[in-house]
Amino acid sequence: MTAFTLYNYVLSGNCYKVRLMASLLGVDYKIRAVNFYPGFEHRSEDILALNPAGTLPILMAGDLVLADSAAMLAWLALNHDASGRWYPAADPVLGPQVQHWLAFSGRLTNSAGLARLEAILNWPVDSETVRKAAVKDLRELELMLTDRVLEGRTWLVGDQPTIADIACFPYVALSPDAGLEHDGYPAIRNWLYAVRSLPSFVTMPGIHELHELRETSDA
Amino acid sequence: MRAGVGGKDVVVWRAENGEIAAWDNRCPHRGMALSHGFVRGNTLACLYHGWHYGSSGRCSYIPAHPELDPPATIHARQYSISEQGGVIWVSVDDDAEGTDLGLAPLRSFIVEAGEDVVIAACASTPLDGAVPVVLGNSRFQVAGDTLMALCNPIGRAGTQVTILTAPNLPVARRLTHSRWCEAMRRTAEQEAGK
Amino acid sequence: MSLEYAKNDWYAVADGAVLERGPYKTQLLGTELTVSGPIDNPTVTDANGKRYPLQHRYSHVWTAIGDSPRPLFDIPEGDEPGRVLVPVGVVRVKCSPLRAVENFLDIAHFPFVHTDILGAEPHTEVVPYKAEIRDDLEEVWATQVKFFQPQASKSAGGGIITEYEYRVPAPTAAVLYKTCPPKPEFKDVIAIFVQPRSEEECDVWPWMALYDETSTYPELVQFQQEIFLQDRSILENQRPIKLPLDPKLEIPTRADMTSIAYRRWLKRRGATYGALTADA
Repeated sequence: MTAFTLYNYVLSGNCYKVRLMASLLGVDYKIRAVNFYPGFEHRSEDILALNPAGTLPILMAGDLVLADSAAMLAWLALNHDASGRWYPAADPVLGPQVQHWLAFSGRLTNSAGLARLEAILNWPVDSETVRKAAVKDLRELELMLTDRVLEGRTWLVGDQPTIADIACFPYVALSPDAGLEHDGYPAIRNWLYAVRSLPSFVTMPGIHELHELRETSDA
Repeated sequence: MRAGVGGKDVVVWRAENGEIAAWDNRCPHRGMALSHGFVRGNTLACLYHGWHYGSSGRCSYIPAHPELDPPATIHARQYSISEQGGVIWVSVDDDAEGTDLGLAPLRSFIVEAGEDVVIAACASTPLDGAVPVVLGNSRFQVAGDTLMALCNPIGRAGTQVTILTAPNLPVARRLTHSRWCEAMRRTAEQEAGK
Repeated sequence: MSLEYAKNDWYAVADGAVLERGPYKTQLLGTELTVSGPIDNPTVTDANGKRYPLQHRYSHVWTAIGDSPRPLFDIPEGDEPGRVLVPVGVVRVKCSPLRAVENFLDIAHFPFVHTDILGAEPHTEVVPYKAEIRDDLEEVWATQVKFFQPQASKSAGGGIITEYEYRVPAPTAAVLYKTCPPKPEFKDVIAIFVQPRSEEECDVWPWMALYDETSTYPELVQFQQEIFLQDRSILENQRPIKLPLDPKLEIPTRADMTSIAYRRWLKRRGATYGALTADA
């Protein structure tokens, strides 16, 4: 019994946020592959009828149709996380802090996300503009994560991973696809490692598995 | 992790037994950056084909040929490394001579400016409204705190900066110092951009 | 000179999807080109308006900018009825075109780069296979290649031992013939057509001719895109950027027989655009 259908593109960081969250929560779902590239199927009439924004992912659960990956993370956490720890929406401090990072994740889509699409798929955006914006966002994240480290913490909000971390993770992890390396961001590197170490973490192209954690019978 | 030292691309890693090593960041098989690799026990494995290298830099295992004892000719090029007082020192020319500076590392970041511009920015960026006093040897005194800026040139116009401060400071103070780093970088990059 | 040699090969420079969106500006061997018109009647011109010869083959537009181009290679499976032809869409990579081809020919990286799809630890051993330069065809061929794969293709049910044959018919093109689970008497064909933008950057056009009646078209495209994008993060991190043809710089093992043959073959032909030679 699958919980939802995901209109998905395998190379999309935003679609990956949902795939990753579903895996972390152990939620089963169906994938409907949309030919985002080279077919631009997300702009077809069929898909536009579902999501007039013409973006992916799209989540369908019964009569509910959701666009926007941050909304989907919230839906997953509110409906499939009995512990409530992944999205402490009712907490008067943690809730708004998560909201801040969900908004930040939208900025990352338009900076680091677009810089990556430009580098990989020749997306028609100005390379210098999006790369400058991406560096600005990466530096801001590095500063905030450095605060966390100095406070003895790991995650963006509170003391446990939340949808804030999952929302911001993909386009930061994938920034090297656009040649934006993580060498100057030690706090980001450690945080990425923490996310990749979570039980039931899944990868996407451009984010390698942590082979050091794999059980093997090797020498 | 990857580091630029003396114009070279270097991989720095720590084994399970705590030993650190700095090598040329290139697997001798097909030139893949070892800094993308993974540490298993006391070996560093290359991400491309999983070739394992032990602490001596010698290749110890080739997954495509599990029974093969890799010849000694297959090895990573080693550089000198030393760990002192929470700071890791690497030299690509001679023996790395670290010193225990008696300070606690705060954070490390890259500035798009040359070393001299960075040092000048350190000398001019205020903290709590106070202007720094230059103590020499990359040390500065400002608002009652000692800050030290270790600089490592990267490329033609970049500097990796590691800021150290007095040990055992309260968290709030360290957060303020971190903000000072941002302001210093803004000053340096504005100057470099002229 | 390596550039003059390279100019006399045909290169894929556009597909239908790209041309649907209007005139397409691109770069081949350092020359700026524009490809325009519909896929069945395109034109290829340079900045001065000079027109170049072109062919429409294997779902792509091919062009050659040299004075006496060698014939474009043949992939007869592209004409077999019942096959799904899949142009996967172009991906740009900052690497030598020759590194892109060599990576395509390599299987020892499957457990580490395409983990749990094309390979998985501890099944890492590469058993001996046959690699040769076939002088009659002037092509590199690798045969009897076998590897255990958790999910070899979209049509494979579970883990199988996949059998491969690799073929290099031109310096920047490679073709893979692999076990086809739905029709074991046939082989699935997967190819990459690498367009060198310069010696250190290329546009890669993957293409497939498959038997698969169960997967949707987007699923087929994305399976291949997933594999290639996993390789891209390796390709952009190999140094030197250009492919060394001198065996002292990079140490091969028996698992690398295809790459050894490929490098030798490139040197023999003088196909060194994107390569580091002793006198470079």
